[in-house]
Amino acid sequence: MAELLIQSAWLIPCYPLMGMVLSMLWFPSVTRLTGPRPAGYVNLIMTAIAFLHALLIFPAVWQQPAVTFRLHWLTVAGLDLTLPLEVSALTIGAILLITGINFLSQLYAVGYLEMDWGWARFFALLALFEGGMCGLALCDSLFFAYMILEILTLGTYLLIGFWFNQSLVVTGARDAFLTKRVGDLFLLMGVLAIYPLAGTWDFDGLAAWAQTSEVNPKLMTLVGLALVAGPMGKCAQFPLHLWLDEAMEGPFPSTILRNSVVVATGAWVLIKLQPVLALSPTVTTAVIAIGAVTALGASLISIAQIDIKRSLSYLASAYMGIVFMAVGAGQTQAALLLLLTYAIAVSAMIMSCGSIVLNSITQDLTQLGGLWSRRPVSGLSYAIGALGLVAVPPLGGFWALLKLVDGLREDSPTVAIILLVVNDLVAFSVVRVFCLIFGNQAKQMAQRSPENLWPVTLPMVVVAALTLHLPLVLQSLNLLPNWAQLDKTAALLLTWSSLAGMAIAAVVYLGPVEKPVRLPWKPLQDLLAYDFYTPKIYRSSVVGSVDIVSRLVDWGDRYIVDGLVNLVGIASIFGGETLKYGNTGKTQFYALTIAVGLTVLIVLSAWSILSNLKLVVFG
Amino acid sequence: MQLQYFLLLAAALFCIGIYGLVTSRNAIRVLMSIELLLNSVNLNLMAFSNSLDPSAVKGQVFTVFVIAIAAAEAAVGLAIVLSIYRNRDTVDMEQFNLLKW
Repeated sequence: MAELLIQSAWLIPCYPLMGMVLSMLWFPSVTRLTGPRPAGYVNLIMTAIAFLHALLIFPAVWQQPAVTFRLHWLTVAGLDLTLPLEVSALTIGAILLITGINFLSQLYAVGYLEMDWGWARFFALLALFEGGMCGLALCDSLFFAYMILEILTLGTYLLIGFWFNQSLVVTGARDAFLTKRVGDLFLLMGVLAIYPLAGTWDFDGLAAWAQTSEVNPKLMTLVGLALVAGPMGKCAQFPLHLWLDEAMEGPFPSTILRNSVVVATGAWVLIKLQPVLALSPTVTTAVIAIGAVTALGASLISIAQIDIKRSLSYLASAYMGIVFMAVGAGQTQAALLLLLTYAIAVSAMIMSCGSIVLNSITQDLTQLGGLWSRRPVSGLSYAIGALGLVAVPPLGGFWALLKLVDGLREDSPTVAIILLVVNDLVAFSVVRVFCLIFGNQAKQMAQRSPENLWPVTLPMVVVAALTLHLPLVLQSLNLLPNWAQLDKTAALLLTWSSLAGMAIAAVVYLGPVEKPVRLPWKPLQDLLAYDFYTPKIYRSSVVGSVDIVSRLVDWGDRYIVDGLVNLVGIASIFGGETLKYGNTGKTQFYALTIAVGLTVLIVLSAWSILSNLKLVVFG
Repeated sequence: MQLQYFLLLAAALFCIGIYGLVTSRNAIRVLMSIELLLNSVNLNLMAFSNSLDPSAVKGQVFTVFVIAIAAAEAAVGLAIVLSIYRNRDTVDMEQFNLLKW
């Protein structure tokens, strides 16, 4: 039975894709009378099947060697494109995480999108994401991973653009597509450049090649940087991070999925490419630098936001930055553990925020407050998610970050210190959001705020419970470090950094400091609140130059290329219009032309005779 | 008396005829220029006939024909000019440009 289930693991991405196709039946243009709700139910069932399938496989592959299949796709002259699938504890674990969170966010969407008619489109896109991500987890080839990433980029565009009659949604979807696409295109360059070097696209093959290869370091640096650029865009790393901020215009349930899992797809590819990236010290340094800058910058920006969703979206960038740092430092195990704990904790937080926004309407943190007594379940879920995110023992985030700091301490203490600072800032940010929503007096928008109906609350509670149980689960899987070998200093430092951040935030936002809090230097506050003015930077650098160049090219096409062709036509017309005056209508002129023509012809044809002619007149 | 002189004279006459043909505004003078051309041709025929073919004198026969045809042509030409004159009250060549562009 288990064997059969493992052999059919390739079906897991197919269930949600089937759900995607089925939900199209409930498009408002297809099913005109009975409403779109069955689309959601069908997708829930499909996701549940996928989850159960993965769950049944998991014990069978746990601590077993990976089973691989090869699905033949196509062979063209010298290039064999075969899709390798790997069924291992890691990939099935990732699929469990993906389908689990997807199931919960779909259930959440059933409650959240109660008043929305666009279920068919929404659930079809969620299913596309789920199928894509399961496929990405299973597939063991850089080439096919790239293909799936591109499909997911398209999915992001469509999902952010769900409510497309809002203008900010349209610009946000545009930016998300283009920014991620730029990264993907660089990734494609890397993917194409690595084939002649390694001769394979399989991640295993690449890792094996990286063990023994002796490539020109400069070449490897360039290829490595291109390979990093794809995950950089996917994970919303500086400077390709603006899209995640604007992607917050999409519906909340998709935000849960995106912030917890979709941004992690880039990190997944990055982790799998780590052996290749490690070939070039420049690339690993660049990865660490990108991650560090993003983690610091995004956590600072997150503190200065007044929009709930955006404050959390920058945390996604910050945590992906931490993953980048981990991959750059070679700590792939810690990075994977961090992805797991982050995904679960952050979805608890986002579900709680969505639950608040659903019936407090505003997303403005300055308009909320005092919800703790009325919204205890949401408040607890948020608090648990926040504690699970930052390093507070014994919850999950602590172990992941501890593992990371532990691994970094000897090789790169600077990175470890940055990590502590980021943890401190993130702790400040999450507690600030908590205090602004649940602490203090209720503002007008939050005067009457009941808890939500069960499809919104249940997944939130389940995820919060998962966050609480994660350490137990990890322990039972022997993924936690032994307490005896543990680095107590690092553990204490991490705990203190998060406690310090939390305490400062609590004092500032619950204490006597005047609200809204003003920094002594206003330009700095504005700089952080406006995300380092990234839209302006984009517009003045890349967008501006591409705009100017395209206008120039358009002008050149209109006036120079078209002009040259039109000039031929105009010249012909002008020639006809002017040369017709040669027809004077006078017979004598015709006679003259005949005479001249004949003379010229005669002179030309008899030139050899005429030039030798010696006219002797006299003597 | 060499052949060239006759030929040169004929050529000169031909050129004068062409010049008259192209520049004259009076239709009668155009006809007269055509006569000049024909005469220069006749002169050529006679010169060649005398110097190259003194026995058979084929050129002289041609000349007779040319004179005859020239007379006929002049008659037809004058008739055409006359009929144009009857219609348009002028023999100015510049005025006959109905077919311009």
